[in-house]
Amino acid sequence: MSIIMQRSDVGEFRRRYRWMVLFVMGSFFFIFGRLFILQVLQRDIHQAQARKNIVREIKLATRRGVIRDAQGKVLAASRPSYNVYVVPSQLNIEQTWPRVVQLMGLDLLEANRLRSRILELNKDERRREQQMLLAVNVDRDVVATLETHEAELPGVDVVSIPVRYFPFGELGAHLIGYMREVDVADLSDLESRGYRAGDRIGGVGIERRWESYLRGRRGWRKVLRAMRHMNDRDELEAKYLEEPRRVSPVPGRDISLTVDVELEQAIDRAMRGQLAGAVVVVDVRTGRILAAMSKPSFDPNAASGSGGIEASRDAFRRYYADPLKPMLDKTISAAYPPGSTFKPFTALAALEQGIIDPSTQADCRGGYEYGKRFFRCTGVHGHVNLHSAIVRSCNTYFYTIGAHENMQLDTLAKIGMSFGFGVKTGIGTNPEARGRIPTRSWYTRRYKGAFRGGFTLLAAIGQGATTVSVLQLALAYAALANAGTLYQPQVVRSIETSDGTIVQEFPPRVRRIISMDSHQLEWIKSALHGVVVEKEGTAHAESLLGVDMAGKTGTAQVTHVTPRGVDSDRVWYFNRDHAWFAGYAPHAAPEIAIVAMIEHGGGGGKNAVPVASRVVQEWQKLKERPITGKRGARDDDAEPREP
Amino acid sequence: MVAPSRISFRSGPQVDMALLICSVAIATLGLVNLYSATSYYVESARKAGLADIYVSQVYWIVVGALLAILTAVIDYRHYERLAYLAYGGGIVLLLLVFVLARDIRGSVRWIPVGSFHFQPSEFMKILLILVLAKYLHNDPHVEPRRWVDLALPLGITALPVALVMAQPDLGTALIYVFTAATMLAMVRIRRRSLLSAVVLSSVSAPLAWTYLLKRYQKERITSFLDPEHDVTGTGWHALQSKTAIGNGGLSGCGFMQGTQNQFGFLPDQFSDFPFAVFAEDWGLLGCAILIALYCFLCVWAIHIASQAKDRFGAALAVGVGALTFWHVVANVGMASGILPVVGITLPLFSYGGSSVMSFMVCLGLLMNVSMRR
Repeated sequence: MSIIMQRSDVGEFRRRYRWMVLFVMGSFFFIFGRLFILQVLQRDIHQAQARKNIVREIKLATRRGVIRDAQGKVLAASRPSYNVYVVPSQLNIEQTWPRVVQLMGLDLLEANRLRSRILELNKDERRREQQMLLAVNVDRDVVATLETHEAELPGVDVVSIPVRYFPFGELGAHLIGYMREVDVADLSDLESRGYRAGDRIGGVGIERRWESYLRGRRGWRKVLRAMRHMNDRDELEAKYLEEPRRVSPVPGRDISLTVDVELEQAIDRAMRGQLAGAVVVVDVRTGRILAAMSKPSFDPNAASGSGGIEASRDAFRRYYADPLKPMLDKTISAAYPPGSTFKPFTALAALEQGIIDPSTQADCRGGYEYGKRFFRCTGVHGHVNLHSAIVRSCNTYFYTIGAHENMQLDTLAKIGMSFGFGVKTGIGTNPEARGRIPTRSWYTRRYKGAFRGGFTLLAAIGQGATTVSVLQLALAYAALANAGTLYQPQVVRSIETSDGTIVQEFPPRVRRIISMDSHQLEWIKSALHGVVVEKEGTAHAESLLGVDMAGKTGTAQVTHVTPRGVDSDRVWYFNRDHAWFAGYAPHAAPEIAIVAMIEHGGGGGKNAVPVASRVVQEWQKLKERPITGKRGARDDDAEPREP
Repeated sequence: MVAPSRISFRSGPQVDMALLICSVAIATLGLVNLYSATSYYVESARKAGLADIYVSQVYWIVVGALLAILTAVIDYRHYERLAYLAYGGGIVLLLLVFVLARDIRGSVRWIPVGSFHFQPSEFMKILLILVLAKYLHNDPHVEPRRWVDLALPLGITALPVALVMAQPDLGTALIYVFTAATMLAMVRIRRRSLLSAVVLSSVSAPLAWTYLLKRYQKERITSFLDPEHDVTGTGWHALQSKTAIGNGGLSGCGFMQGTQNQFGFLPDQFSDFPFAVFAEDWGLLGCAILIALYCFLCVWAIHIASQAKDRFGAALAVGVGALTFWHVVANVGMASGILPVVGITLPLFSYGGSSVMSFMVCLGLLMNVSMRR
């Protein structure tokens, strides 16, 4: 019998049970439906995600192509740079740290700063496990020391990172280029081409223009995020990693240039004592660029960040603040008035028009009166003919041509255009200045219909609105030297695979054959020779003995403006004329054309001729040098792994 | 006095085999699963000096089984008399938590007893079921009830809820509320009172959000509503758990082969997310069996209630069934991403001495009612 009395009815509950059972079954059915969605309908998504969780792709670094000069000398290559890291949680600050300081030769201030940083990071549970950068671009000796003592230094890691190295430093830096870090801004654009944040990309010059060839393709390897059973690793990897598990990196293409670095060095020596300017040497038979230098230059090693990001930022800050514009490639990215170096083209136009012949004379009394203006000459030359006018650079003679009724501005423009002025040469390394050959319609547009005859006079002596780039002028003189073939300029001779097989060679390309009367050309050329060899020649006094060349000096007047950021006591420099020499060598059978432009150098004869003359002399010597094997021994790096 | 005892021996307590088999099956699956769930963990944790979780779970289950047998042997009607006293003791223990407990992961829930960390809120679940069953047993009302009539059981529930919320342990508090609500749903309540409850709760919900919930609890709920918003923080757990379940597919990766678990992508895989481990290893087929077992347990509890000879037994059975049901629904719902992440255990699957033992005692109670119908 029951001790506890039954006080109310069990029946009250009874009506609930059916609903409860329904609710329970419904809920579990709902849960089952959810599992069905996850495990059957969405299975592929989740399985892919689960696989992605455990597999990590390690990027395998590729080797960027080497850039070599015409003689096979390395102009740009990658070398390992060593960074030292510490993992705060693994570093014994009492025992290991003083040893690190001693072995790395850190100074006390730096050591104390780093020490407190390590201690600070050690407090952060997550960051104490991560590598902290101790020093960048560490000396090879220090690396060797650290590696010798590796066993004593738990928690200290030396990591090698490929860094672009330019053995010749500033020499030809504009042409060769440098490496810069990919901007966050262009990253969205570049990501489709496989660039990642922190990657480096060619900054200017060859490095930029031929980036897609030099770069190579990164490889990758799949690994497991192995958190357990390190000894089962092979077995687990076989199980969970799908083929292909590895794609090898493809090394970048090597590029051989037409440039001869020894000639560049010669130019560098010849330009000593000059602040700014540009020199270009081209092969008149091919249009290949043998040397191109722009001064002042920049250090591509610093710009590429070999000394760390801070150092490269400092370098750029300095370069951009410099009024001499070291980052500007003055051989092609800037245009200057050519001055008297343009006169041979004026003379050719006049001969072609029949305005003059070699016997035509003019009387130079220090200038030419045209309309109400007096156009000045460089001196009083007396009676001059075509030959002596070029040799002595008489402006009056060319004013007379310019003032002739049959000489129109557009006639001059036409010959200028046919020699490649006013259009880009298509070299493609750096942004090109087009230069300007003014036409009548250009003046009409520019000066609202007020064209004056005086403009033609100025154009005849290469002043006024006429501007050319140094490379344009060199190619035009090459066309004079080779009797009328205007070449497409070339800097890349061939592209090779990393083992030296030539992938592509670039034969010379002719842009245009300029039709000229050979007699008329001979008259001009003999006059250009006279400039150098005759006693009255403007280049005679300053050219070196035994240098066989022909050419024309130029002194281009500069519009008087003060560049921003220049002290008033330095303004005089920026108002000085540009000094030019444009020519070719040897005189009889020309092989090279050379243009030397000294920015704000003053008179062309006095300043540009010595430079050009020295370069030609060195070139003559280099021609004699024994032919060495094109390639030296290659230093092939082992496949570096990306940090 | 000899005769009745002989009679009762003959026709008396019969072990409910269905309940027994179902319980043993769940406990076995839970143990096997815990072995898989801890296989990764143990490897790296051994150095850290953590005890072997799997082995200690075996101990808890054995101790729990002994407690369950003890609970089942004594006629449940004896518990009715002790219900209020036991409830009072439970409240005292909950208060003691604040004095004695150590702070583990920002919350105080455990009282250290030797090497065992005793979690009073787990045992409070049983006591709450007991005391509410006693109330329902003694409640004489026949006509539908007003709120005033239910003031006492609501108060009885509110007290431990408030104490547990203060620990803070939102999951357990919710379990109290839902279990109590299910038990009280067995009596008839006036429609007007129900309507006013709906209005009241919709008014108080925003207030509770502002004043009652802790910051991390709110984060869990917001990250549930918008899982993409924070994939590294709170949302990460839910996301990885969903991935693990989906990775299992129809037939599973195989025992101890689930990569989400083995490679350490499941947080709290032996306490909060054992279901994800199970689903990854055994797939939808394994899940169907497990879900069916839990479903059967809950339905069987209702069946036992319907067969009970008094209101106390019936309420007790419904209470145990409700407790099981809400634990399973909340835990699996959270693992499969249909409910926010709150730390509610999966009965007999999650690691934890208090949880295992208290649930074993509940099963003992159920068996007790079933044996004496």
